[in-house]
Amino acid sequence: MTQYKRLETTFLGVKFENPVMLSSSPVSNTGEMVGRSFDAGFGGVVFKTIGAGKEKIIHPGPRMAGYNYHNHRLVGLQNVEQISDRPMKDNLDDLAYLKKNWPTKIIVSSIMGFTKQEWRDLAKASEDVGADMLELNFSCPHMTVEGSGMKVSHAQALVGEFTAEVKNTVKIPVLAKLTPNITDITETAKFAKDGGADGFTAINTVQALSGIGLDDYIPRPNVAGKGAMSGYSGPAVKPIGLRCIAQLAQAPHLGLPLSGCGGIENWIDAIEYLLVGSGTLQITTGVIHYGYRIIEDILEGMDLYLEERGIDHLADLVGKAVPNIVPTDQFDLTSQGVAEYDQDRCVGCGQCYIVCQDAAGQCLTWDDANRRPVMHEDTCLGCMICSFVCPVSDPPMIKYRVVPGKSEILPPVSR
Amino acid sequence: MEQGFTMNQALAEASRCLLCHDAPCAAGCPASTAPDVFIRKLRFRNIKGAAKVIKERNIMGGACAVVCPTHALCAQGCTAAGLDKPIRIGELQRFIVQYAWDVGFQPLKAGQPNGVQVAIVGAGPAGLTCAAELAKAGFGAVVFEKRSAAGGMLQWGIPNHRMSREFFAHELEDIRSLGVEFRFNTPVETQADVDKLRADGFAAVFVATGAWRCTTLDVEHREGSGLEDSMSFLVRAKDQPDAVRKELTGAEVLVVGGGDTAMDAAVSAKRAGARDVSIVYRRSFQEMPGSPEEKQAALDAGVHFVILTQPVDYVIADSKITGARVVRTRLTTEDASGRRRPENLPDTEHVLAADLIIEAIGLSPDPSVRKLDALTIGDGERIVVSEGQRASTDLPLYAGGDAVSGASIVVKAVRDGKAAAEAIRKELGR
Repeated sequence: MTQYKRLETTFLGVKFENPVMLSSSPVSNTGEMVGRSFDAGFGGVVFKTIGAGKEKIIHPGPRMAGYNYHNHRLVGLQNVEQISDRPMKDNLDDLAYLKKNWPTKIIVSSIMGFTKQEWRDLAKASEDVGADMLELNFSCPHMTVEGSGMKVSHAQALVGEFTAEVKNTVKIPVLAKLTPNITDITETAKFAKDGGADGFTAINTVQALSGIGLDDYIPRPNVAGKGAMSGYSGPAVKPIGLRCIAQLAQAPHLGLPLSGCGGIENWIDAIEYLLVGSGTLQITTGVIHYGYRIIEDILEGMDLYLEERGIDHLADLVGKAVPNIVPTDQFDLTSQGVAEYDQDRCVGCGQCYIVCQDAAGQCLTWDDANRRPVMHEDTCLGCMICSFVCPVSDPPMIKYRVVPGKSEILPPVSR
Repeated sequence: MEQGFTMNQALAEASRCLLCHDAPCAAGCPASTAPDVFIRKLRFRNIKGAAKVIKERNIMGGACAVVCPTHALCAQGCTAAGLDKPIRIGELQRFIVQYAWDVGFQPLKAGQPNGVQVAIVGAGPAGLTCAAELAKAGFGAVVFEKRSAAGGMLQWGIPNHRMSREFFAHELEDIRSLGVEFRFNTPVETQADVDKLRADGFAAVFVATGAWRCTTLDVEHREGSGLEDSMSFLVRAKDQPDAVRKELTGAEVLVVGGGDTAMDAAVSAKRAGARDVSIVYRRSFQEMPGSPEEKQAALDAGVHFVILTQPVDYVIADSKITGARVVRTRLTTEDASGRRRPENLPDTEHVLAADLIIEAIGLSPDPSVRKLDALTIGDGERIVVSEGQRASTDLPLYAGGDAVSGASIVVKAVRDGKAAAEAIRKELGR
């Protein structure tokens, strides 16, 4: 297995051979599975969330539903899977097995207690079997046990209390895994920080309804005739994940390291998460879709990117985009532009004309004889909608061009 | 018949469509089947709506989807070709039509009866389209067909490997469900027959008797078994597949000609077990009038292409064909069709052995159409029509399809059937 010097990093004082971990989910369910992911190249694992075993965990059947866009499958994935249904001892034994056989890989134990005592017990037991780190699951949006998972984040004081219980029990670093299903993710984070958390993981799945059966009116997945608003993941949620990580990175009252996840399946996704402030990364849905093998191209792709940019250490990239993320009131509104067309490459579909008519500034007319759009720059809003639908995108034949001194374009009153 | 698209394959192909503002595909369909509209409807998962568009505009939408030379029609101007390759419009159309059949969605309804009866002579695509259009408008449409079933060339001329009879039966059922009546084994051939129809209360007659007469090669020795015209062979291959298989297994077959009918005959012979099937054509491969798809299908089937070769006579022994005497040709200057004219080369004569020779060098309307006195017959035994497919100034006679155009494509017959029905509706509708 290739080792990438540039990808080595230190996170919460722990040395990672690369920053990419499996996140806590079906893909990190057993020691045997995780071992194979390590052999494939993952740098660590956040093991499937362990419970103390007092509450019986039963996974609903079926537990997942794919969300497709046109012919593209698994753009998103909805699930109602619970925390681990295995005996606590089996899970702890697997953690020990992994630490013993893959000593250079990082083992993060994800835990979820239903009482303060359980949080303490789970934390201690994990530390005792050699976990490098803990992740506190305050964020599963579809626990069938009342008052757990995301519900803890909604009663924010509990986040602080449970974090403090854990921190007072163990010496290893503690991540709090946060839910995006809340008005301001930095508020929950502040409670975790005050409880002593060393860093944050975001995001857990986005609460969603990904589909309703037209024949039976039942949301998917259809669990014996009912569905639930439950966790949605995959490429569709990446923009939400990036936003949450950026919010956590920017919040002046936080300032803690971040582990980013939500829709990562290639090296570009991974770099983006680093740029908005993630120090490590986690993946589930990409593996559910393609298997552990995706790590090969994520690592190689990241390494080649760093090489191309002349960056020797991945850590130098973390948060580089954060200063460029501003509230919209800080935009320079004096800079305006237009859509510039490379007409020689136009194939003549007219989609630009349609959207300019129906969704933009009506700056295009259509030359029927030649089947080509005709641009009237003086009325172009520079909104670029046309470029989003133009099929000549490789490279784009419609580009944004700044027009110095361009004056405001206001549509006339309809008559 | 090959499997069509699955749902996901169809949606994937539809998602390649650029949904043009002024789609060239729409202008490319003689029957105005509106591919731009039905592909857009498919794209947005309104598959029943898509089926409605196809079937309302082209009652033969299933057959056209399968047999149309789309590369020369709808797909010819496809904008997507500017990026990679044209959208597979025919396959999408087939998927949509078959979807409607599969789910039992019938988008067409018979019109409110208007009490006017129209006779249609010939149950090929032109006649069937005219009958269906009239039934939709409330006319009583009765189709008189001299053969034993409906469909014409689609029933007998298109081999099973291209379109199965099971597939086509759905299309006929769509037409029958509109209340169109059929009188099979009932030829209408003479002016007296037509006059009788009018006396029986038919207010108009649409003549669509097709082009079934095969052109023959003008050579000295033709009298022997083992020489057959393309239509005779294709009908046999379709009606008596077992007998044809028995006859052709291990045989050597020559097919003279380079059009789609020649390809169909050659592939049918090959699939029936012939050991060697050779297409003998006097010009080059490129100049063959057959569509690229059908030529490729023949290549894929293992048919040999003997190009630049002109049969000059047949070899007969004991009243049986044993081969064709051929010469090599070379191409000279372009003729009126824009293709280079072949010229026989001296001292190249040789014999190609054959157990069966199939002539596929052209189809034309049967001269018997001249028995209909009220019609004007022009070049190539073609019925002359004016605006609205009107075939007589005095009598309410209309004509269309191959009987008017000479051997042509199904979608043009559909266009004629629609145009005639529209003219009849305007003239006689109530």
